Amino acid sequence: MGTAALRASGVRKSFGTVHVLGGIDVTVVPGETYALLGPSGCGKSTLLRIMAGFAEADAGTVEIDGKPVSGPSPQRGMVAQAGGLFPWLSLRDNLAFGPRETGRLSGSAIDAEVTELMVRTGLDGFGDALPRTLSGGMRQRAAIAQVLANRPPVLLLDEPFGALDAQTRLRMHEWLRELLAEQPTTTMLVTHDVDEALLLGDRLGLMSARPAKVVEETVIPFGADRGRHTLADPEFVALKSRVLERVLTG
Amino acid sequence: MVVPLALLGVWFAVSAGGAISISILPPPQRVATAAWEFFFGDSRVTLPGVVPFVGSGGLHIGASVVRCLVSFALAIVVGVIVGLGLGLSRWVSDLLDPLVNALRAVPLYAWLPIALVWFGIGETAARVLIFIGALWPVLIATADGVGRVPRGHIETARMLGTPGRRLWRRVYLPSALPEIVTGLRLSLTLAWMCVIVGELTGTTTGVGAMMNAARESGRIDQIVVGMLVFAVIGLIADLLLRMIARPFIRWSQT
Ligand SMILES: Nc1ncnc2c1ncn2[C@@H]1O[C@H](COP(=O)(O)OP(=O)(O)OP(=O)(O)O)[C@@H](O)[C@H]1O
Ligand SMILES: [Mg+2]
Repeated sequence: MGTAALRASGVRKSFGTVHVLGGIDVTVVPGETYALLGPSGCGKSTLLRIMAGFAEADAGTVEIDGKPVSGPSPQRGMVAQAGGLFPWLSLRDNLAFGPRETGRLSGSAIDAEVTELMVRTGLDGFGDALPRTLSGGMRQRAAIAQVLANRPPVLLLDEPFGALDAQTRLRMHEWLRELLAEQPTTTMLVTHDVDEALLLGDRLGLMSARPAKVVEETVIPFGADRGRHTLADPEFVALKSRVLERVLTG
Repeated sequence: MVVPLALLGVWFAVSAGGAISISILPPPQRVATAAWEFFFGDSRVTLPGVVPFVGSGGLHIGASVVRCLVSFALAIVVGVIVGLGLGLSRWVSDLLDPLVNALRAVPLYAWLPIALVWFGIGETAARVLIFIGALWPVLIATADGVGRVPRGHIETARMLGTPGRRLWRRVYLPSALPEIVTGLRLSLTLAWMCVIVGELTGTTTGVGAMMNAARESGRIDQIVVGMLVFAVIGLIADLLLRMIARPFIRWSQT
């Protein structure tokens, strides 16, 4: 439980001759949601995979509370672009997977917590369903719930709603905001959707094209009460067009 | 159902017309009588070393089924373990892959002489032959299935806290299960087919032994009964296996 500080310094990565990350410096303070916005193919997934411990940087470090990461860990929950549910497990068993593996809770406590988590994520009543029988939105919520069941201090989200239609995505944004307010978690959200970044982030970082760096950081000035109404807020519209302009001109 | 009934009709017509000698293909009613004798006849005389026919259906089928299941069970255990090893470990596959590929290219009949030399005439040789026949499909299917597990599943499990030594149980095995079940079906079919080869090693019980004895005494009707028994039990076995496996692989079915 609790939250932690996440810091990347000078992270570089190349695949063969493709220089993907050109020295990423970013710090996420405990409990903050940091939205990292970048064009497609700039290396967002690569950066998150390094933060999660799935891949190694060529140079630079990633630290949680000052300790360098090596290898994947339940302390850093990552929801990949395509979701991570195990197709052979029921929803309930998918959500219970982490707590069972880490031994964080006893059997009956896991049952209780998973039931509560299903209620909070609007998946109540689908405990016995297999992932393939759920809708896309439910699957993504479930993938996030699966990771949150471990109460990770750090949450890494890779375009978690990228595959959903616009309306569902907006609902998911409202849902995730509430969820993260209830369970404060240091969150790194990478996306190429400006609305998503501005609706969910406390701070915004802009990534350049390859070799990617974080070229600009902005505090997002909207409060906790964000949702569909925020989209029409003149301040939101102005910030969005400024950000879009910045992204499009590189 | 149409084709088997039509064939039965042709069989009737041909044997009734006397076109084929009884010693080559007896008429259906002869086979039916033999089948009746096989299952419900009165088994009185049993001479040592003679394979009984009348009233010994249960005896022979029981012996064949037990032989088949014992060897099949052993093939599952060995096949899944070696298959996991081949699929999961570089050095195991470097070590064993050439050997497995070479051994599995040896036809079952080619194992028969050496099985007889090593294990003598009888039960052990039969079980070993059935085991060898049943081993390869489940072994290869397990190795292939494990090799095809998506990377993402492994990463998700690692990230959720599964230690490396438990990955095989939490991810590799369940993810590969549909392919393993396909291998198991093939293995069971082969095990059942190999029963007859196994029973050529001189066992005195078993459907294969009965057929062998029938061949020596020229009883084609009894041979045909044996063939029918093999067909029916093979079908039932596959059906049962599919029923047992269904709940475990429902997730992969579309
Ligand atoms: N394992 C790999 N091997 C070789 N090249 C890779 C590998 N992973 C990523 N790349 C390359 O690195 C670059 C960045 O990929 P990445 O997936 O990180 O981009 P992204 O910002 O997440 O894109 P998107 O928005 O489309 O998801 C791409 O050019 C990609 O081809
Ligand atoms: Mg990506």
